[in-house]
Amino acid sequence: MNELFKGFAKAHAEQNGYLLAATLSPVSPADNPQRLRSIWKSSNAHSVKGDIKHWIKSNSSRNLDHEEIKGWVEVYAAYWNAVGDIVAGEDGKSTWTKVYESWKELTSVLIRGYNNFGFEAWTIPCLYMVGKYLRLFAIKSDTERSRNLGDNSGGASLMQDDFDPETEKQGQLRDCEQHLKRIFTLCLNDRAPLEESRKWGIYFIINLLFKTYFKLNSASLSRTILKTLSAYRGDMPPLSAFPKSQRVTFKFYEGVLFFLEENYVEAEKHLVEAWELCHKDAKPNLERILTYLIPCRLLTSHVLPTKALLEPFPRLQKLFLPLAQCIKKGDLHAFDLALQEGEDEFVKRRIYLTLERGRDIALRNLLRKVFIAGGFDEPKEGETTPVRRTRVPVAEFRAAICMGSGGELMDTDEVECLIANMIYKDLMKGYIARERGIVVLSKKGAFPGTGV
Amino acid sequence: MSSWSSAQHPPGVAPQAPYAYQHSESLSIPSAGARSNLISSAAPAFIPVQVRQSFGSYVAPPPPPYNPYASSSPQSQPATPTTSTSPAAPVEQPKGTKTEWPESVRRYVQRSFHPENDDPSVSRAELEAKLKDTIGSAKENNSLYTIDWDNMPLPQALVRADREAQLKLHHRAAPITTPIYTDDSFNPRKRKSNDFSHDSSAPPPWHSTNAGRSLEDRISYSPEKRAALDDPKSSKFQKEANKRKRRFENEYKAANVASLSLNPPPPSGPIVGTSEVLEKKYLRLTAPPVPSNVRPERVLRQTLELLKKKWRKEGNYSYICDQFKSMRQDLTVQRIKNEFTVSVYEIHARIALEKGDIGEYNQCQTQLRSLYAMGLKGNPIEFKAYRILYFIHTANRTGLNDTLADLTAAEKEERPIKHALSVRSALALGNYHKFFQLYLDTPNMGAYLMDMFVARERLAALCNICKGYKPDVKLRFITEELGFESDADAAQFIIDYQGQHLLEDRTEYIAFLTGKANGLFENSRAAAFQKVDIKGQI
Repeated sequence: MNELFKGFAKAHAEQNGYLLAATLSPVSPADNPQRLRSIWKSSNAHSVKGDIKHWIKSNSSRNLDHEEIKGWVEVYAAYWNAVGDIVAGEDGKSTWTKVYESWKELTSVLIRGYNNFGFEAWTIPCLYMVGKYLRLFAIKSDTERSRNLGDNSGGASLMQDDFDPETEKQGQLRDCEQHLKRIFTLCLNDRAPLEESRKWGIYFIINLLFKTYFKLNSASLSRTILKTLSAYRGDMPPLSAFPKSQRVTFKFYEGVLFFLEENYVEAEKHLVEAWELCHKDAKPNLERILTYLIPCRLLTSHVLPTKALLEPFPRLQKLFLPLAQCIKKGDLHAFDLALQEGEDEFVKRRIYLTLERGRDIALRNLLRKVFIAGGFDEPKEGETTPVRRTRVPVAEFRAAICMGSGGELMDTDEVECLIANMIYKDLMKGYIARERGIVVLSKKGAFPGTGV
Repeated sequence: MSSWSSAQHPPGVAPQAPYAYQHSESLSIPSAGARSNLISSAAPAFIPVQVRQSFGSYVAPPPPPYNPYASSSPQSQPATPTTSTSPAAPVEQPKGTKTEWPESVRRYVQRSFHPENDDPSVSRAELEAKLKDTIGSAKENNSLYTIDWDNMPLPQALVRADREAQLKLHHRAAPITTPIYTDDSFNPRKRKSNDFSHDSSAPPPWHSTNAGRSLEDRISYSPEKRAALDDPKSSKFQKEANKRKRRFENEYKAANVASLSLNPPPPSGPIVGTSEVLEKKYLRLTAPPVPSNVRPERVLRQTLELLKKKWRKEGNYSYICDQFKSMRQDLTVQRIKNEFTVSVYEIHARIALEKGDIGEYNQCQTQLRSLYAMGLKGNPIEFKAYRILYFIHTANRTGLNDTLADLTAAEKEERPIKHALSVRSALALGNYHKFFQLYLDTPNMGAYLMDMFVARERLAALCNICKGYKPDVKLRFITEELGFESDADAAQFIIDYQGQHLLEDRTEYIAFLTGKANGLFENSRAAAFQKVDIKGQI
């Protein structure tokens, strides 16, 4: 434990928050795998607070405020408690639930340190450390509890009219969300001047909250956080002043949020930003970004990913290349099969409903082929450039669609319906003259953006 | 350290033993056609659920050991104590049992009797009673080890606070809970659980559900800690102010904490009902349920039979809905989750569907989803199909995605689900032609759900047609494509949306002048697709 407080003193001397946060890590460093155990063994419940006080005082050269010392004693005592549970867990004598509970206590004590004992803003990486593991422990505790099944929930559901199984399954993570939100408020509401404000902790905590909401399948709650954030926008340092790692994560989640709300234009903006900020070697993150950026671009600008782009990402190749080929060829039947093939994976990543709309592009490409195959009209007098035949019988489109759908027959009304859709979505320019059974296409750009 | 939390978790309710006999008694719905009056027709709309009295195979879940009601109600099942502390241990004699008191409690007791803490206005007897009460209820709550005894107000302070609370009972009643339960955790789950997304300050819907566990934590918060939780301040600058504030508030907070410990501790397990009354008005619970007002499953089965008869005979929806809600409540508070539970929710869901009570329907469907997930028998195919249609109606993409993820390959081949999935993809691709064909051929009661969004899809299709066709189409075409019953209905629909000038009577037919619509239906369409807000949606 003395080691720990040497680190503590050093961090305070240098005002190095990350160094300080490292002293609160619930994981032993690789070069000292016994660290936690030795911390736990170096004291006992009776004297832990006295010990810690002694250690802090004997190591610190810098004069720590009396109140501050009092606060840190509480924090490290709570940390020591939690370490006890973690160590016991390694021996199979504790549970993740217990670890979560004692880590939660540590979180509370730490927050109290900022509120009551004047912890300074440079120490906020401690909040990162504690918040990060609070979430991880909550998830582990939930898994553990659902494995041990049974009805763990307390008396609360007794007052409800119906069961809520979801709540029971992720009870700890939901509980954790409340504590993360306390940290969020703690950072948000600091009115100290910017250079010594806890506001600098905001994006790290927001990212933690986003992760939590996505995990809880309540991504939309992230909007609440964003709304709160934008209400404070004026007092907040600009996002660009925050560390890149935090910006990438934040932009990614912001983009995915828009994506889930079907606002693909906004989503693309944020995802591109995340893509450009992301470190080139952070493959898994680049992959995550592309997973949403590719469907986005398919819908916004009808652009398909190139082989070169997907080169470093075998999983994405598997996910997107078959679909991309079908779209390009206008092969409806193969498209349906490919979509079905990847359905589980697509649904899991929440991109199924978006990719499905790629069928429109495949259909557009097919109808465009019909148009091109129609060739040119007899040039009229005075015309020098040949004009494509712009009056196409519905029957021709029908034949193409029937062939494209694997020989399945589709009646004319349905074919017209699909064409009407193309026109409505501006994928095709023209109109259907139902009485005459023909489609009249625009002479200038029948298929906008495709060169014909 | 390692011993404290072992006593924290009352053992969960044992999972129910599956039934040895599986009957084909689950409700089956006549499949096709007669969707109206499915439930209210004179012929039994359901094959009634047999009351399984003869088997007696249902075993009530054993109440957990810390259930104060179980030990006090004469008819309840014997509690099965699984820990050394007896559930019936009277609060008044905590020292009689072999409990090891934690050091902190001992210190607390010592402090209480320390002469320097003596308060002439509080007699020794009062003090002792209060002390016993405090520790006793902490023990009962299993919070002996979680309470911060070192910062717990002394019994003297608690007694003083009690007196004060008595005096100001009326003034205090409301504020006492508000400042302390800042997050609404005392209230039962909010009905409008979807509302939170619109209000940035509202707590997420699960807040309240944590009350059970966190309640104990909360009670034990020291005033100091509470002060910290309530208002975060900026860093060092506020330190002095905080100190003053704490000093100032200490007494006030102590009073609040004290008055809280007066409340009976919340029970920590399901209860076993003893009521024999068949009908019961629904009342939203604001306090833990009382066994004498709760009907056991045996009685509830009779209630269901009665309600089915009454529904067929009288068709009084508000009565039926109310009764079903109280049944559901009784099932929930007793933690009864079996096939009977499934049938209660299924029947209520169907009745709600038929009456277009979408909020109530959704509550049932949410429950059904988890009941099926537990492996209970029922009509999962029918209801999973409804669920898809419902999410189409509410335009809930997240819900749809999750539902897709839940379906197995075999389920996707079942007719009702296949139908619902086709409806979904037809709409996703704008294929109104296919959509309206599917609409006219909907299995089970799905058409009640489709009725709810068919108008908006008609508007969408009209927008499409108006832009895609020129110069006109026959009205008959609209009738057929958009699934209207007659030309008159189609015309009426167009007129309802101010399209009368687009209808032109020609000698042989009525024409619909699509070329002149100029986006007439676009606004109505946009309005119709605005987010559907349904109460009770989860």
